[in-house]
Amino acid sequence: MRQEDISEIWFEHEGTPLKWHYPIGLLFDLLASSSALPWNITVHFKGFPEKDLLHCPSKDTIEAHFMSCVKEADALKHKSQVINEMQKKDHKQLWMGLHNDRFDQFWAINRKLMEYPAEESGFRYIPFRIYQTTTERPFIQKLFRPVATDGQLHTLGDLLKEVCPSVIAPEDGERKNQVMIHGIEPMLETPLQWLSEHLSYPDNFLHISIIPQPTD
Amino acid sequence: MEEDEFFGEKTFQHYCAEFIKHSQQIGDGWEWRTSKDCSDGYMCKIHFQIKNGTVVSHPGTSAHVQTCLLMEEALELPLDDSEVTEAAAATEVIKYEYHVLYSCSYQVPVLYFRASFLDGRPLSLKDIWEGVHECYKMRLQQGPWDTITQQEHPILGQPFFVLHPCKTNEFMTPVLKNSRKINR
Repeated sequence: MRQEDISEIWFEHEGTPLKWHYPIGLLFDLLASSSALPWNITVHFKGFPEKDLLHCPSKDTIEAHFMSCVKEADALKHKSQVINEMQKKDHKQLWMGLHNDRFDQFWAINRKLMEYPAEESGFRYIPFRIYQTTTERPFIQKLFRPVATDGQLHTLGDLLKEVCPSVIAPEDGERKNQVMIHGIEPMLETPLQWLSEHLSYPDNFLHISIIPQPTD
Repeated sequence: MEEDEFFGEKTFQHYCAEFIKHSQQIGDGWEWRTSKDCSDGYMCKIHFQIKNGTVVSHPGTSAHVQTCLLMEEALELPLDDSEVTEAAAATEVIKYEYHVLYSCSYQVPVLYFRASFLDGRPLSLKDIWEGVHECYKMRLQQGPWDTITQQEHPILGQPFFVLHPCKTNEFMTPVLKNSRKINR
């Protein structure tokens, strides 16, 4: 290819432009969970779909997006108190740990984002986003508390019943959908607080995919 | 809801309804849009601008009719549909869209915006900035706004520019304190 023919890179799977700002695991679960690995995607150097994808001019854009998600998650969990108490170098360490695949470096900072006051039973609200390919809306995100007024821990099932009831409504036999996080289907009875502490993505959000049951 | 929270979503929707009522009274073109699969929604306003800076807005009409009226005003003669498209391309009409959404994470309204040519080609932030009048540029640069970044619109899923709500806190507190005093 000639240099002048090359413009911004973008990725696509079966006609769907891939959103670089979504975690790769989420994209796979949502779009290709039944595919065998390695996941084959198409790389493009022309025809950037301006109406579908955010521009990613540099690595700084990715860092800025990651940090903005981390900050939003902390706004939900701790009214931003924990993230704001940290120094700029701690924020940098969080990003560098992720960027360089150094878990210990990442977790040294992230573990503070997973704590909550001793007098509470969990975070203020749970950072989550629920994705379905069947809706125009890219994801569902609402305020949801990990603990009920009676002190009982809310479960994954409670969350779904509240924010997208159509997913698990049918009591007559099989569910039409799988509820997937990181490629697995957690039991609906799992406490949401536990999921948030242990199954969040590096941006501190629970990214949940609702996909049709495989037909094999 | 705790007292230190600024708005709940219901309160946001209530104030939007008031805002839109007022907008209708003065012909300012704001409307309410709901998402198909959910009860939430946002305020939306579209306006068209010829690149030389003349702002024309005809609220309550469809986008196409707005374009025709715009062209007729600019060129001072009635046009049929094909001439409108040609004329529009030649004189570079830009469509600006403003959406005011509610952020449940920060519990404040957030401004999303984008601009495009009539053929759908989007403008970059640099292009949009170039279209801002000099006197506004200074004010915006000094204002309480943190940054403008490109983000995915949470209801439409398309790229928009967003005024970051980080400093909305600092900006809104004195506004709310005063409004409570005056009991508006």
